[in-house]
Amino acid sequence: MNNRLEEIRKLHGIKQEELAAVLEVSRQTIGSLENGRYNPSILLAFKIARYFNMRIEDIFIYEED
Amino acid sequence: MKKTEHARYKLFSGVGFLMFVGGLILVKSFPAAEDYMLVLPYLCIGIGTGVFGYNLGELLKFAAVKKDPAAAKQIEIETKDERNVTIALKAKSKAYDLMTMVFAALLLAFAMMSAELYIILTFTAAYLFIVGTNAYYLIKYRKEM
Repeated sequence: MNNRLEEIRKLHGIKQEELAAVLEVSRQTIGSLENGRYNPSILLAFKIARYFNMRIEDIFIYEED
Repeated sequence: MKKTEHARYKLFSGVGFLMFVGGLILVKSFPAAEDYMLVLPYLCIGIGTGVFGYNLGELLKFAAVKKDPAAAKQIEIETKDERNVTIALKAKSKAYDLMTMVFAALLLAFAMMSAELYIILTFTAAYLFIVGTNAYYLIKYRKEM
């Protein structure tokens, strides 16, 4: 699964640390999400989408194999 | 940390310390002890030190984070962080797989060395207990999820 988290975060002008603090996750989790090394739980995906006032599928892009 | 949790750590650190001191007193009081009395003091020292150390550590951690709420919040975030939890579970899962293999290999090795039957049976019981626990939680979680 790909995502546009880094792009959207930078568009909003916030740092990884700030996003992590708002979402109550570690900064490493944000880094891993942005690098595509880690896929979030549905709860975290919702929290991210709500924070940016977007839909989950606008941030996380599902790709079939 | 809740008040009851704090009280529990205090209680157990006290119990651990008493066990440790009791063990030392037993060692000094009965130098020519036999059978279980030979083992008991060292068991008390070992368990007492472990219990005392762990609970004292938790109390010190509590004292440290009490002074710094921001650090306490960060520790809570790191502990509950879903990626950290997933990593911990994955690591535990790998270790479990390895442990069952090591157990099986040790069991085979002991059997080939013609070890005492009680040793092999103890190993078998421990192995079956672990595998049984795994099966129990598989069934439990299948029903729950």
